[in-house]
Amino acid sequence: MIDVRQLPTPDEPEEALAAVVALRRAADLLERRAVRAALKQGWSWAKIAQALGISKQAAHKRLSDINAQDNPP
Amino acid sequence: MLSGIKTRLSNVRTIKTLCESAENYALQDQQRQAGAEHFLLAAIDLPDNTARLAFREVGADAAGSRDAVGAQYREALRSVGVNAGEHISGGLIPEPLQAAAGLYEAAPSGAEVMKELAANRNDHRPLLGAHVVAIVAAMEQGVAARALRCMGVDPAGLKAAANKFSRTSNRHTGPMGA
Repeated sequence: MIDVRQLPTPDEPEEALAAVVALRRAADLLERRAVRAALKQGWSWAKIAQALGISKQAAHKRLSDINAQDNPP
Repeated sequence: MLSGIKTRLSNVRTIKTLCESAENYALQDQQRQAGAEHFLLAAIDLPDNTARLAFREVGADAAGSRDAVGAQYREALRSVGVNAGEHISGGLIPEPLQAAAGLYEAAPSGAEVMKELAANRNDHRPLLGAHVVAIVAAMEQGVAARALRCMGVDPAGLKAAANKFSRTSNRHTGPMGA
């Protein structure tokens, strides 16, 4: 859980913007791992899209290269 | 004239190697487009060795650049109270994306590197890793700049060192000594 009291204040833009970049990247990594796990468990793209709050087409376009058989470290 | 043509052909080959290597680093980094940090890592890998020499000149080991990219992500996440594990916050992890088909496209910071290289192409006799290092070291913000700070590298000093080795190498052919 992110403690909002620890968030950089707006007068620290350098630190705040660096955090934004790192959070986006971490979110992308987490998304790919979660989608891979979902596919392994037999989830449909429609169900994955619904869980992510995006359209099935958008989910498929962005994440269809994920292979359920891949075994990341 | 003939040497000029040879240099230009050599530079084209170097650009190709640089772009392919940067893209490879980006894919390993879970990103489809190469940023300045990926071009920096690719420059360090170039066989001319001038990028490594520039780092050594400022007392840093270029081999630590890859870890520094991951370290700056972890540091940024910690600043917002996220203590993510290495598998989420690490810089370059062995879970690469697949290269997309189509035209080569760099991230904005990577495109800035390419634009600067193109603008200064007449000074590249030949194009070297040190030229790329000088461009990246001049960037004040972004992942590459933060990674250099994580390494304790003074960007101005690194830029000066890179300029020195790129000028020196104009008088040499082949890889410079390690």
